[in-house]
Amino acid sequence: MGQDKENTTSGDPEIDYKNLDKLRQYIGETGKILPGRISGASANMQRRITTEIKRARYLALLPYTDQHR
Amino acid sequence: MRHYEIVLLVHPDQSDQVPGMIERYGAMIVKANGVVHRSEDLGRRQLAFSISKIHKAHYMLFNIEAEQAVLDELESAFRFNDAIIRTMVIRRKGVITGNSLLYEEELRDKEKDIERDRLAAKSESDRKAKEAAKEAAKEAAKEAASKEESSDDDGEAAEEVESESSESANEENVNVEESE
Repeated sequence: MGQDKENTTSGDPEIDYKNLDKLRQYIGETGKILPGRISGASANMQRRITTEIKRARYLALLPYTDQHR
Repeated sequence: MRHYEIVLLVHPDQSDQVPGMIERYGAMIVKANGVVHRSEDLGRRQLAFSISKIHKAHYMLFNIEAEQAVLDELESAFRFNDAIIRTMVIRRKGVITGNSLLYEEELRDKEKDIERDRLAAKSESDRKAKEAAKEAAKEAAKEAASKEESSDDDGEAAEEVESESSESANEENVNVEESE
């Protein structure tokens, strides 16, 4: 998985805490954020993805883990 | 003046206050020479995890342009409103208008609900018509049983099962809402 870096421009407006389908591509089955070396996002993108996932989590749009009851 | 994006989560029992809150907070911003670029009622959404034993919440989204003082005022208003269970304010770089992805989703859901209600009403009236037709068919069958009629009956039975299953799905929804 993810040997090549994804072609994502750094000004990508798609990465947003409201774009749940996009963000779900960057979390694993347990709800954890995938590391950049697995997801193939550039360091810049990975930072943006991380903050947006954390925003979505705070608003209970995405889970922190799959252990939630 | 800076651009902010505000998300509010409202307790589902206080859902009916939402339109009033949108109006009230909008008025607060406009009164202080701010601008509301976008305000959306995202409806009741399932939470990814329960917050203080609540499983659903009513979401609201604002994109505003306002002074720091106005934002402080808003934040304290949010804090003292017991209906609001969580808030998030983030700074944005420019004007954001147009429907957000979550709002698009909500609009689609609403459309689906309307469609489903319409279908339910339709299937109900269909079933009544079918029952009447069946009665008539029985009468006819007594007199003379032909092959065409029996094949018709099969089709009707299959359709009826479908409409019943959709009804039971509706009942489940009602139960979920009651349990909250």
